[in-house]
Amino acid sequence: MTLVEETPLAAQPATAPDVRDVGVPAPRARWFTALRHGRGLAGALLVGVVLLAGLAAPLLAKYPPLEQIPGANLVPPDAAHWLGTDEVNRDVLSRVLFGIRADLLVLVTAVPLGALVGALAGLLSSLSAATDVVAQRVFDLLLAFPVLILGIALAAVVGPGLTTVGLVITLAEIPVFGRLLRGAALRVREMPYVEAATVVGAGRWWVLRRHVLPNAVEPAGVQLAVSLSVAVFVEGAMSFIGIGIRPPDPSLGSIIADSVSKLDANPAMALGPLAVVVALVLGFLLVAQALAAGRRVAG
Amino acid sequence: MSGPSAQPAVSGPSAQPAVSGPSAEPTVLEIADLRVGFPGAVAVAGVDLTVRRGEVVALVGESGSGKTMIARSVLGLLPATATATGSVELAGTQVVGADEAALEALRGSRAAMVFQEPQTALNPVRTVGWQLVEALRAHRPIPRSAARARAVELLELVGIPEPERRLRSYPHQLSGGQKQRVVIALALSGEPDLLLADEPTTALDVTVQAQILTLLRDLRDRLGVAVLLVTHNMGVVAELADRVVVLHRGRVVERRAVPELFARPATDYTRDLLASVPALPEQRRDAPDPEFGEDALLTLEAISVVYPAKRGRPAFRAVHDVSLAVRPGEVVGLVGESGSGKTTIGRAAVGLVPVTAGRVLLDGRDLASLGRAELRAARRGLAVVHQDPAASLDPRFTVGESIAEPLLVHRAPAAPARIAALLESVRLPAAYAARRPGELSGGQRQRVALARALALAPRLVIADEPTSALDVSVQADVLALFDDLRRELGFACLFVSHDLGVVDRVSDRVAVLRDGEVLELGAPGEVFVDPRHEYTRALVDAVPRVPARATS
Repeated sequence: MTLVEETPLAAQPATAPDVRDVGVPAPRARWFTALRHGRGLAGALLVGVVLLAGLAAPLLAKYPPLEQIPGANLVPPDAAHWLGTDEVNRDVLSRVLFGIRADLLVLVTAVPLGALVGALAGLLSSLSAATDVVAQRVFDLLLAFPVLILGIALAAVVGPGLTTVGLVITLAEIPVFGRLLRGAALRVREMPYVEAATVVGAGRWWVLRRHVLPNAVEPAGVQLAVSLSVAVFVEGAMSFIGIGIRPPDPSLGSIIADSVSKLDANPAMALGPLAVVVALVLGFLLVAQALAAGRRVAG
Repeated sequence: MSGPSAQPAVSGPSAQPAVSGPSAEPTVLEIADLRVGFPGAVAVAGVDLTVRRGEVVALVGESGSGKTMIARSVLGLLPATATATGSVELAGTQVVGADEAALEALRGSRAAMVFQEPQTALNPVRTVGWQLVEALRAHRPIPRSAARARAVELLELVGIPEPERRLRSYPHQLSGGQKQRVVIALALSGEPDLLLADEPTTALDVTVQAQILTLLRDLRDRLGVAVLLVTHNMGVVAELADRVVVLHRGRVVERRAVPELFARPATDYTRDLLASVPALPEQRRDAPDPEFGEDALLTLEAISVVYPAKRGRPAFRAVHDVSLAVRPGEVVGLVGESGSGKTTIGRAAVGLVPVTAGRVLLDGRDLASLGRAELRAARRGLAVVHQDPAASLDPRFTVGESIAEPLLVHRAPAAPARIAALLESVRLPAAYAARRPGELSGGQRQRVALARALALAPRLVIADEPTSALDVSVQADVLALFDDLRRELGFACLFVSHDLGVVDRVSDRVAVLRDGEVLELGAPGEVFVDPRHEYTRALVDAVPRVPARATS
């Protein structure tokens, strides 16, 4: 029967058509291709522009964000003040630019922190039935509160401020990422290739690190982009209702809140920060969609 | 639409003259120069085919041969991206290019489909009776009571006992074989001239397969219905078909009457296809018992595995009181039908499932008593090969990374040269190390899985249906490779399979299982030729045989 190897039917690997060129590109390359055209590009541009504006705020802003400019009370947009000034004579554009910085600070710390803690909790909960019950019930508890209600409750306890906003966003993201990673762990753990590794002696940590995490990274990347857009909204909303960043420090939400009663005098005071929030939320969502679509195509 | 022409009462030649050939029966299906293409690929490249009344024509070929596309094109069921040219005449009506309304008139009443997977072909939330009545009323506006009476007749026709009672059953209350009978009854509800049976028995156990084949033959004889049988199984062809059309890459390679084809295959392709089918031994082989040494490598001491009751489901006893020993270098085959516990035994042997009673001894040491570090060390000598080539490799790993994994687990050096050597040992080029599983064929993936299993030079390999998802010629390759490697490396193996021919081919001893118990244990040459247990005999008799070829 070994003759079968030589029959024309036998698969002859040496002469098998070379498929290397049409192969699936490495995951990292896929991430960038997803952001190089269409929705992904639009999203990346929106986020990128806002990001740059925030980073370069000290260079771009013509006035310090807290400076009260003599004689410029609630002026509508003009050449000197592109977004006009507010009721205490501060330049709105400068405040928006510095507001972006505060926003970004929360985004780049709170969301990744929540994702990390959540992912870890999710992985741990997949390890044993007891930790699973505990972690799942904690997730349920966190998810039971709408984010803003959680924010109001926390602000009542620890007081409003940038830290509170960060804390709320972190807490809100923990169950989201926890569930994601737990699901991935449970799904991957049943795969034959994990069984094959287990049988040769791979432990649970090995399986988590080598099989579960890599398989969860892509959905987690999509979720990260979604979470960032939610976080922009949460920060804005909390500052708007006055439990976020405290005046006089600038933040997108508080500028919009202040503008509400001054809309007839200077409508740009609301439109400027709103445009930034829209750009960020939309940008992150577009990026998330592009990444998810890229995953489906590659999958 | 003309009246139903496949009534049981109607038989004998009709007024329509025969087109050609020795048979006087009218032609039901005439395919001429059919071509089916997909963007960038050709599935069917010019196929001619004729099916007459009361005839069973088999389309055989391996995956990618286009056999399913031909069957689907008869009912205009090709995927939306496919384009078909040529001619498909079903009972005198041109199907290629026909509009949806014309196709709907043909579907069910002229030709009907019997699907591979009865589980998904039936609606799980409706009773069998409801589904039959709906199908009948879709063809003709008849009152519900008449449809119901006809449904009872149909169930009787396909050999379902107590048809009145079964009408009220849901699909999950029926066995796999009964479900397939219901699917056939549904196909017959429109009194078609032609049944398109796409791998109708592939999802079934071998004894059930034999019953369904008998039923199909019986229906052909009684109703005169023609059958276009799509299958990869040459045994099924030999049992059921009158004529065979062998396909390879969308072309007809050979077209013969069944006895002729098996006796004198005309082309190399067909010869290889037939040679690839693992056949059961016809004569008792008195194999000299090979020397494997006295000390068993793996001993199962009266093990039982019970899956505990869960959410209203009662506890399930998967394995009951099984004792088995595997000696170093020996291949022990586990055969049985679905639910026989063969896979569970394999999993229990490597500690993937805890045993509820009994002991699993590896090198004389109880797996359950080992500490974590000892278990890890003991597992160094173990490996598994799974059934599903799509899931047996991590899609994110390159081939090289997959093969290196066992080495890394045990902190053994995983140099590229070692990976290359392992790849070469499974007859794959070393350059494959950089590829990902998505770029490989099923057979290549199973080779990689085998290379990974061999990375640590295991002494015991658990192979769970390692070839059942592969084409028969690829299966033959992989089995030959397995034989070679085993001779070279001398590992022992617990080989789980439902395919008696495969087990016979690779095993030194074979255990026949039913309902979690070992019925018979012995050399395959004895067990399969001269079974002591009646169940084994039924199992062996149910395997469709490929007739022996005339020696040329």
